[in-house]
Amino acid sequence: MKLPFQLPPIPKPEEIKKKIIDSQIWRSMFRGGVWKDTPRDRAQHILGNVWLHLQPSRVRKHGLKWTYTFGLGGLSFFLFLILTVTGVLLMFYYRPAVDLAYRDMKDLEYAVSLGSFIRAMHRWSAHAMVLIVILHMIRVFLTGSYKSPREFNWIIGVVLLVLTLLLSFTGYLLPWDQLALWAVTVGTNMAAASPMLGAEGPFAMLGRSNDVRFVLLGGKAVGANTLLRFYVLHCVLVPLVAGALMIVHFWRVRKDTFSGPIIKPEELPHDKVDTWPHLIVREYVAALLCLIFVSGWSLLMKAPLEEMANPTVTPNPSKAPWYFTGLQELLVYFDPWIAGVVLPTLIMVGLMAIPFLDPDKQKGVGRYAFRERPAAMTYFLFGVGMWFSLIFIGSFLRGPNWDIYWPWESWLIHKAPPPHTWSLPIPAGLALVGIYFVVGMVLPKLSKPDFQWKSALRTGLLAMLGIVALSKICMHIGWDQMAWLFVFGYIYYVFGVLVPRKHLSTQDHIRYVTAMVLVLLMLGVLMKIGIRLGFHIKYILTIPQVNFNI
Amino acid sequence: MAETTAQNAPANQEISRRSFLKLGWGAFLAFLAASAGATLRFIFPNVLYEPPETFKAGKPEDYSQGVSTRWTKAQRVWIVRNDQGIYAIWARCTHLGCTPNWFQAENRFRCPCHGSNYTPQGDVIAGPAPKPMYRCAIRLLPSGELLVDKSILENRLVLREKSQFFVAFAGNSSATAKA
Repeated sequence: MKLPFQLPPIPKPEEIKKKIIDSQIWRSMFRGGVWKDTPRDRAQHILGNVWLHLQPSRVRKHGLKWTYTFGLGGLSFFLFLILTVTGVLLMFYYRPAVDLAYRDMKDLEYAVSLGSFIRAMHRWSAHAMVLIVILHMIRVFLTGSYKSPREFNWIIGVVLLVLTLLLSFTGYLLPWDQLALWAVTVGTNMAAASPMLGAEGPFAMLGRSNDVRFVLLGGKAVGANTLLRFYVLHCVLVPLVAGALMIVHFWRVRKDTFSGPIIKPEELPHDKVDTWPHLIVREYVAALLCLIFVSGWSLLMKAPLEEMANPTVTPNPSKAPWYFTGLQELLVYFDPWIAGVVLPTLIMVGLMAIPFLDPDKQKGVGRYAFRERPAAMTYFLFGVGMWFSLIFIGSFLRGPNWDIYWPWESWLIHKAPPPHTWSLPIPAGLALVGIYFVVGMVLPKLSKPDFQWKSALRTGLLAMLGIVALSKICMHIGWDQMAWLFVFGYIYYVFGVLVPRKHLSTQDHIRYVTAMVLVLLMLGVLMKIGIRLGFHIKYILTIPQVNFNI
Repeated sequence: MAETTAQNAPANQEISRRSFLKLGWGAFLAFLAASAGATLRFIFPNVLYEPPETFKAGKPEDYSQGVSTRWTKAQRVWIVRNDQGIYAIWARCTHLGCTPNWFQAENRFRCPCHGSNYTPQGDVIAGPAPKPMYRCAIRLLPSGELLVDKSILENRLVLREKSQFFVAFAGNSSATAKA
């Protein structure tokens, strides 16, 4: 068929694309000329883009291997983005007032289209972010990526971990359910146990109506002011601070360069590939997989919502979300100011101190080198292991009245109440604490570090058996107490004496003393738990007049 | 030229560069400190809208010997009656502030958050709680009702037995007399 007029030729897609890209509008938005996929274009694509230029234009090949980073840092940020988007959406339906908040949650769950899904996304992404941030820290440690010149970025990373936990903590008051109220009650009472600044801490100077807890709560108990305060902290203040620190964190990664095995400077150019597309593609794939996983999970699992907050009735048992059950379990064995204030602070300070305590600055950078850094690896993994063991116990082995229940046991069966506890008299307590730190400090220095592991372990085993037998004969301790004494004594012998003797005793004095104090404190936590469980000793040292209890 | 004048600063010059900077920085730091102080003051609320801390707990003869959980849900207080009289325990664990539960068979309060255990007197026998539970001020109104005041608290051994925290009550005799 012939048309009376001529149709214009249909342009090919390539031509349309070229026309759009060459148009003045496109040119005004995106810098650079026609895309020819030259190395120059690829570099320009990164450098000319305000978002992408946080990355270098070329990266070292080994950093692309997914088993090196597992994409954990990028995923932490991506989850933060998911949380920002879902959080803003939730804010459209949520009012932070005592008599409205819980009703708004119910509306979100049952009356708002996709409300339940968005809330689930927000909740589960928050859980995932805590996990991924912790894993990111572990990865950075294991590959030695915190070593010079990246010490400062490691410190910022530790602060970001704390802020991630704070974001979660401030967030879970907002639903105004039972978990919310009691978690925040417990958390703010920990603040009240701060030395001097809290009304119930050691050397308290302030009262119930002007201490740190009062500021956090905006009153004497969790109430309307608290809800509003936590809302502002959760939605504005903490995200702003975290965002600012994230910018610094990424900028320092860029400036300090990605960590990697040390190679000769002349080999460096051959080790690099273009960020676009090699790294960017991997980042997008990781983000996409993460999004699919979190969405799928949120479709299948609703976000938990307990009964409406009741300030007089505490659920039995009352459990924190998993990332705080470790802390909750720790609180069982210590006075609140130790477990709630001193130990978390020491953990943070200890983590920040790691890059400066490490004696060999360039050993084991850029790969998982266990054999090259035995002491650092041992103590870091020991601490992580301890923390996750506490989380496991708190999450899975605790039931009503915070009694021990095995996972297969019903919570309906009755457990005998715990035996009475007792405290050591003050002189004995002072002596014990003093001996622990002085002897602990000196013991690894007494002999040379060149011992044989096998014979040292065997000697220790025999010595420990001797001590246990002697205690049985002299002090008539029970069989279970013999087991506690043996296990905890042997752990102390290996990690408090042998490992420091082999790997720490050769360092200079400042490093040795600082590292040893941290090691003794970490083991001391374990020893105190053993003493409580095995011998029902409540406090080793207690001075009730100033609320000082260890 | 400016340098030479600065170096040969005459003694009668009113203000030197150094002292000017000292004053300037001092004023600036004082301003920052005052702003921080003002902000800190701002976040302490002056007026609280919290529920009243006193309540009427009925008549002494309403209570039999032992721990009563009648007011736990509404007021977070246990009324305890012994041979000599009546006292009120604020149902707040001194560890981290959860509400313990009363277990009659074990004769203990047990906290659901970290496992602290208390006697009916409020003394700690197991778990991490550092101090005995607090007792509330309690008195007998002319109407014959008990008035409990949760804003006045005491947990020290001798002081908590004083009349402000304890209503002497003759025990069964009056209850039986009425019956």
